[in-house]
Amino acid sequence: MRRLHSIGGYVSASCVALALGGLLTGAANANDRLIEMAKNPENYVMPGLDYTADNYSEMDQITAENVKDLRVAWTFSTGLLNGHEGTPLVVDGVMYVNSSFPNNVYALDLKNPGKIKWQYKPKQDPAARAVACCDLVNRGLAYWPSDDASKTPNLIFSNQLDGHVVALNAETGEMYWKVENADIKVGSTLTVAPYVVKDLVIIGSSGAELGVRGVTTAYNVKTAEMVWRRFATGPDDEIGIGDDFNKANPQYGQKGLGLATWEDDAWKIGGGTNWGWYAYDPSLDLIYYARATPRPWNETMRPGDNKWTMTIMARNADDGMLKWGYQKTPHDEWDYAGVNVMMLSDQKIDGKDLKLVTHPDRNGIIYTLNRVNGDLVRADFLDDTVNVWTHVDMKTGIPVRNPEYGTRMEHKGKDICPSAMGYHDQAHDSYDPERGLFYLAINHICMDWEPFMLPYRAGQFFVGATLSMYPGPKGDRANYLGLGQVKAYSAPDGKYKWSVMERFAAWGGTLATKGGVMFYPTLDGYFKARNSDTGELLWKFKMPSGGIGYPMTYEHNGTQYVAVYYGVGGWPGVGLVFDLQDPTAGLGAVGAFRNLQNWTQQGGGLLVFSLDGKGPYSEDVNLDEYSNEIVTDGT
Amino acid sequence: MTTILRITGAALAGALALAVTAGGALAYDGTNCKAPGNCWEPKPGYPEKVAGSKYDPKHDPKELAKQGDSMKEMEARNAKRSENFKKTGTWVYDVSKL
Repeated sequence: MRRLHSIGGYVSASCVALALGGLLTGAANANDRLIEMAKNPENYVMPGLDYTADNYSEMDQITAENVKDLRVAWTFSTGLLNGHEGTPLVVDGVMYVNSSFPNNVYALDLKNPGKIKWQYKPKQDPAARAVACCDLVNRGLAYWPSDDASKTPNLIFSNQLDGHVVALNAETGEMYWKVENADIKVGSTLTVAPYVVKDLVIIGSSGAELGVRGVTTAYNVKTAEMVWRRFATGPDDEIGIGDDFNKANPQYGQKGLGLATWEDDAWKIGGGTNWGWYAYDPSLDLIYYARATPRPWNETMRPGDNKWTMTIMARNADDGMLKWGYQKTPHDEWDYAGVNVMMLSDQKIDGKDLKLVTHPDRNGIIYTLNRVNGDLVRADFLDDTVNVWTHVDMKTGIPVRNPEYGTRMEHKGKDICPSAMGYHDQAHDSYDPERGLFYLAINHICMDWEPFMLPYRAGQFFVGATLSMYPGPKGDRANYLGLGQVKAYSAPDGKYKWSVMERFAAWGGTLATKGGVMFYPTLDGYFKARNSDTGELLWKFKMPSGGIGYPMTYEHNGTQYVAVYYGVGGWPGVGLVFDLQDPTAGLGAVGAFRNLQNWTQQGGGLLVFSLDGKGPYSEDVNLDEYSNEIVTDGT
Repeated sequence: MTTILRITGAALAGALALAVTAGGALAYDGTNCKAPGNCWEPKPGYPEKVAGSKYDPKHDPKELAKQGDSMKEMEARNAKRSENFKKTGTWVYDVSKL
C-alpha cells in the first residue's frame, strides 16, 4: 500500500482512471479488515452494518418471545437539538456518536459509557445553517482500521455541514486531517455519511435545492489526497463514462447524454447530488449509490432527460468509472431525489441465482437490478396508490408516465402520488436473508404542485415550485394523519408479505435480526419492534423525541444491545424545528406534518436497550462512582 | 449515428401518426425516444427549446461558472495541504501558513 503515497500531488478529475486502476488491484486493503470486523457482533463498523448495507444482524438473543422485556440500559444526550439521523458505530468496545450541526462527535467506552472518552466539537461558519434545505442533519460516521504497515492510526471520518471532511484519530479524537469538499458560498453542504472502501473515503454532496451540480469524491485516507472526483452531469469524462458503460444495457443510454439531455449549459447547475447511502461489492469492486433530482424543481426551465441525475450508479472503487447507470426518473417533475438506500442480496429469481441490488425510490417504485451488469430484474410500486407512472417497461427500463400527474408551468398538478417527499426517503432499511424479506420504512404522502420561474444566483435557493402535501389515499386527509407505512417486501415475487399503516412517515429506517424481530423508530417518538414474519407489534417504548435515524445492534460482554437516536427533525420536522406555520413552507412539508407537534418536541440523543435493561450499571451499581465511602454521623 | 438518425425518423413518424389519430391528446409519456436514453418530449403547447421562449431561464454565465471556480480553488488548497502533510507529517489547514 505504500505505493499509494507515490501517486502524489493533485490528481485531476478527468485523468485518474488508468493511472490508479492497476496500482490498487489485488492489494490487501481496509476492505478485508472491515469485512472481518463486521462479522463480529461486537462491532458495527459502517452505515448499514456491512458492505451489503442490509442492516441485518445474526444476533438472536432478543427474540419475538422475549422482546417484551426490552428496557433502557443507558442513555446519552448529545446536547443539541435538530434532527438526529444515522446511527452510531461500535468498534472494539467504543461507541462513536454523531450529532446534528455543528456535527459534534463523541466516543463512549462501552465499559463505562457515562464517561465521555473524547469529543470533537468543530467550529463552523454559522452561515452554513442558512443553505441547508432540510434541517441541520448528518447521517453518520465512517471508520478506517489501520493496517500494520501504516503509521496512520485508526480513523473516524465525519462530514460537516460547512463542507469540510475531517479524519479523527479514533483513539484520541484529535483531528488528523481536514479538507474542503463543498463550499457553502455556492450553496453546497454535506449531510451524507462518509463511506470507507479500501483505503479510500467516499464523500457525496448536498445542495441541489440551491442548484448544486452533484459530485462524488474519493480521498486517500492516509494522505487526504483526492483520488477521483466524478460528477452527475456534463461531459462524459467528468461523469466517469468510458467505453464499457452500460454495455449490457445500451438502451439505458451511453455516451454524451450528460450534455445532450440538457439545453445549453443548464447541466452546470443541474443537481444530481448524492446525500443518501452506499453499498459495495468487493468481488466486483463496485460501489452502488444513486443521484438526486435535477434543478430547478421547475421542470419547464430544463427541457431534456437531465442525465445522469436520478440514476442508480455502479462505480469502480479505484477510479470512479461507471460500470453501469440506470436513470429511474428521466426529466424529473416531482423532486423524486433518487438517493435512497441500496441493499445487496443474492437471491433466486425466475430460476436464476442472481447478485442483486434493491432500492426503494422516492418515485414510488422499488427497483431490483442485477448488480453485475445493471439488468432490470424487478420494478414494483411501493404502494398501489402510486399514480405518476402506469408501469415500468421492463425491456427498455422506461417508466411510463401518466401525463395527468405530470407538472408544468402555468398548471397546478393535483393529487400527485407520491409527493416530493417520496413514498420512501432517507430511511436506511434492512433485508433479512433468511426470510428473504426487505423491511421498508415508507411514506404515504401526496401533493399539489405548481412551478414558478426564478433566476439562478449562486448561494441562493433555486427551487421554483410551490407545494401542498397531505396524507395519501389510505391516510386520514381530514386530520392530516396516516402519513406512513412499514412493509415487508419479497423481491422474487414482488409481493408484500405484510404491511401496516403508521401515523406519520416512517422516516428513519429499520433493523432486521435473526431473532425474528425487526425494529424501527417513528416520528411520533416510539421505538417499535415487530414480528419479522407477521408484522405483529410486539413491543414499543416512548422516546423523548421522534426518531429519524435507524436502529443498530451490537454485543458487549455477552449481552445484545439495540440502540437508536432520538431527536425529531429532517424534512418532516422543519415546521416543528423552525416554528413555521404556512402550510407551503418548508418546501411543502409544514402542512403535511402540522400535527407532529402534538406528539413530539425536539430532542437529541441516544437510547440503548437490552433485555431487562441489563447493562454496565445494573451489573455494578458502584461503577463510575466518585466515592463508595459513606460517611455517617455515628449515631 | 445512422442508427440514431433512423430511430429519430421512426419516432417522428410515429409521433406524427399519433398526432393525426389522437389529435390534442398526444402527451409526453416518456416512451418516444430520439435515441437510447434520450426520451424527453415537450408537452403539448410547450416549446422544444426554452431559450427565446417565455420560459427562457436567461441564466447568467458568470453565475453558472461560480461552482466550478470554487471547486477548483478548494482542490488547489487541499492539494497544498496534503503535499505539506506528506512532507511534514503534520496537517496544517491554513494555507497561508504553508
